[in-house]
Amino acid sequence: MIQWRVLLQKEWRDHVRSLKILWIPLVFVLYGVMQPVTLYYMEDIMKAVGNMPEGFDMGIADMTSVEVISSTVGQFHLIVSLIIVLSFMGIISKERKNRTAALLYVRPISFASYYFSKWSGATIVALFSTIIGLLASYYYTVILYNEVEVWRIAALIGTYSLWVLFVVTVTVTASALFSTGVAGTLAILLTYFLQLIDSIIGQFWTVSPWKLGTYAVTWLGSKPDSSDFWLSVVVTVVAIIVLMLVGVFGARKNMENIKI
Amino acid sequence: MSSLLLMLLPIIIIQFILMIVALIDLVKIPQTNGPKWLWAIVIVFANILGPIIYFIFGRKQV
Repeated sequence: MIQWRVLLQKEWRDHVRSLKILWIPLVFVLYGVMQPVTLYYMEDIMKAVGNMPEGFDMGIADMTSVEVISSTVGQFHLIVSLIIVLSFMGIISKERKNRTAALLYVRPISFASYYFSKWSGATIVALFSTIIGLLASYYYTVILYNEVEVWRIAALIGTYSLWVLFVVTVTVTASALFSTGVAGTLAILLTYFLQLIDSIIGQFWTVSPWKLGTYAVTWLGSKPDSSDFWLSVVVTVVAIIVLMLVGVFGARKNMENIKI
Repeated sequence: MSSLLLMLLPIIIIQFILMIVALIDLVKIPQTNGPKWLWAIVIVFANILGPIIYFIFGRKQV
């Protein structure tokens, strides 16, 4: 436990020095805010840019806030997994390469606390950014459109946070198992592309971690099918735990691959 | 028109902060992947994506 805390402090300092704690939240807030504002002023923008035919109506002015938040989360979904994977893909593999690992591994640290310190550091940054981004988008939507009940947003953010946890775990584990390039490719395949595939042919099954983004949005209108939703949550949590165990094992197994 | 400006102000400010932070980091960092002047152009002229691309790919971790 003490080891974990010390290693986490090191992680935290790394995230501060590499400015991750600053730029990732800012980018997420930017993407969360941009969509509602753009949709709200779309008509003005269209008028300013090109000559629309007389009486042209795109039906954007009377969008409800539910539609706006859904489209924002859709936008958000594309950028979140990409940024998380790209900025954390080297979190363990990089240390093996730049000789930090040699300094760490000669000490009697447990690989579990090593892996979990990495995981917690990445999770703190990623979750903080996601929550602050979604809250910013909620704030703008409420100002520009109409009210949305708070518990629906809380449910959305909770569901979405689980998806973010899944992405972080996949990334850190891939980084523990492989070199940075392979880890990044694998993590993007596992999160980004499987999610695309899931959205194309996903109607044949209802339970998968990649469906969490869709379920998160469903909280706004009605409620997701509760058995499917909770099964997906359970599957995701189990997947996260299994990936963690694999990650701890991988970090230990790659001990001899360090550069000294 | 003033309300439009008020709404867009946070977006502009965040973009500006991102750009400034990226530029300060670029000046302070000893080495980047690729020439520094190229990254300066990318950060300043590729609006939102510039700083993001710099932070992800430009920083060389020592």
